[in-house]
Amino acid sequence: MNWDHFLTALSPLNLVLALFGVAAGTIVGSIPGLTATMALAVLVPITFSMDPASALILLGAIYTGALYGGAYAAILLNTPGTPSAIATTFDGYPMAKRGDGDLAVALACFASVCGGLVGAFALLMLAPPLSKVALAFGPIEYFWLSIFGLSLIASLSTGNLMKGLAGGAFGMILSTVGVAEISADIRLTFGSQTLISGFGVVGTLIGLYCIPVLIDLVAVPDRHLKVEDDVKTVRIAEAFRIAMRSKFNLIRSSVIGTLVGILPGAGGSVAGLVAYSEAKRVAKPHQKFGEGEADGILAVESANNATVGGGFIPTLVLGIPGTPPDAIVLGALLVQGVRTGPTMFQQSGSIVYTFIYGLIVATVLMLPIGLLIGRYAYKSIVTIPKAVLVPAVGFMTIIGTFAIRNSISDVVIMLCLGVFGWVVARFGFAASPIVLGLILGPIAEQGFVQGWTIGAATHNLFGMFFGRPISQGIIAFTLITLLLPIFVARKNRKSKQGATT
Amino acid sequence: MSQPSAARSEGQIGSLIVSAMFMLAGAFTLYDAASYTDRDSQVFPQTVAVILIITAGISFITRLLKPNDRGGIGQGSWWRRIVLVLSMLIACLLMPKVGFLPAGVIAFAGGLIAAMHDKWTLRTVLLYWGSGSVVMVCFFSLFKYVLHVPLP
Repeated sequence: MNWDHFLTALSPLNLVLALFGVAAGTIVGSIPGLTATMALAVLVPITFSMDPASALILLGAIYTGALYGGAYAAILLNTPGTPSAIATTFDGYPMAKRGDGDLAVALACFASVCGGLVGAFALLMLAPPLSKVALAFGPIEYFWLSIFGLSLIASLSTGNLMKGLAGGAFGMILSTVGVAEISADIRLTFGSQTLISGFGVVGTLIGLYCIPVLIDLVAVPDRHLKVEDDVKTVRIAEAFRIAMRSKFNLIRSSVIGTLVGILPGAGGSVAGLVAYSEAKRVAKPHQKFGEGEADGILAVESANNATVGGGFIPTLVLGIPGTPPDAIVLGALLVQGVRTGPTMFQQSGSIVYTFIYGLIVATVLMLPIGLLIGRYAYKSIVTIPKAVLVPAVGFMTIIGTFAIRNSISDVVIMLCLGVFGWVVARFGFAASPIVLGLILGPIAEQGFVQGWTIGAATHNLFGMFFGRPISQGIIAFTLITLLLPIFVARKNRKSKQGATT
Repeated sequence: MSQPSAARSEGQIGSLIVSAMFMLAGAFTLYDAASYTDRDSQVFPQTVAVILIITAGISFITRLLKPNDRGGIGQGSWWRRIVLVLSMLIACLLMPKVGFLPAGVIAFAGGLIAAMHDKWTLRTVLLYWGSGSVVMVCFFSLFKYVLHVPLP
């Protein structure tokens, strides 16, 4: 450990930048439609005149704060503030509805800090060897990884498996609308110019998750969330106890987040889904995932924040940005005259190490800042009268969706998808499988088509799809995820039958 | 008819309609995919469309044979739901003509009317409209002047 770099990261200016970055990122991330990418893109020009390490600390702090901030809206409004928080809605909103929103927010904060630290320490100590993971993943591995993510549909659709699978397939069809990435064919647009650019992920998320909640909220006079009579504070001690009890889940999910973060193109949403799937797979019988299970929030939030450090590994070592925020940071590095590559840790060591220590400091600072902002976010959401909350959130959905691609059509599509999502959810077709299909569809398609092309060219289709060791590992995990619930249910049924006879 | 059986038949009919809709979407995808020039563009949507038709078809048949679906459009005020959605839709359609902020006011007003279940008083009118105006102006300024989003 080089103390000089660590002390530089702790300079007053860097501390202020980390503090500001985390707070700004958290607030930005909590607003549906405002993404980390947008915040970073807006603030990048400010960093051009800064010292490179300080500039990177500011950008890293905003990024990590935004990923955590996405949990607020997911927990309190059932609307992922950022795509990374999709799976946070699965258990976060049910917790908030039953009166544990404050606990959920605190859990998200602890998990985000844990995940962020694991990712940052991996970046600090294992960057060069871990960057090889990014190169080991070919198109087929991406295909199977997306199928593994889609296998979560099975566990999200207990009792309604066919409806869940149909929803997932429908989501994948939605993902194909517009210009095909591989061959530029125009697909499923009905001749409409508006649909050529396809369905935006953020707009679709807002539509499918937030609009149905608003439609339900206005219909009845009940409160938005169940709350205790006096809202005091977020339940920090209780959350800490739960987090400590689930330390293996936290560490496992953080490692998953770091590894998925290394893979270019996967990002926080895939990391969160994979970690959630794993947490559910190894859950104890009494744990009810999808109904307000604390471990669900811990898994998703630790994994998505771990992608920050993980994502910087290929960005810094290989010059391959894994996500749009990584690409912006890479651009900022290039403007500062810092060359990325395998020798970066030697040639620009002072900048890189100061940045990594700064990222660790920012992640630690997220604990007090996140809990403080979380407390006010929770208090605001539960105390604001519904008559103000609904139109304010409605206004935010419009402006947030518009801002992604500056398109009014996107807002209309968001609204239509919202009404569609509300209607189909009434009849057992949940929004989550549709969203999973929409997000994982493009990754699956690209991997499948590229793998098929390579396999056909080498006359080894079977070997291409099933013969590679990493693919085989992912296929095994997918099969376990799909088949284990059936096996457990059968075993339980048999033991019940045995008990009655 | 008792309430549970009414909910069951409503749930069953709804499930059948949605399943049929998904099957149609799958069939349309197959039809559309036939016109793509490149095989690489066809293979994925065709595969997924077949999966969609099969899964939605199984769901359809299951609901037809075993009508055990609960659910339905549920309780609550219909006019409030319609006012909320319509006001947001009208706001979107008027946005290019009247500008973002006036259109936002329409959406906000619709949402406020729809979500207000208590009796209106002068205090609530002033308080809710006042706080709503602050929220709208703050967000509008943030997006337009800080984030430089070209709001109409």
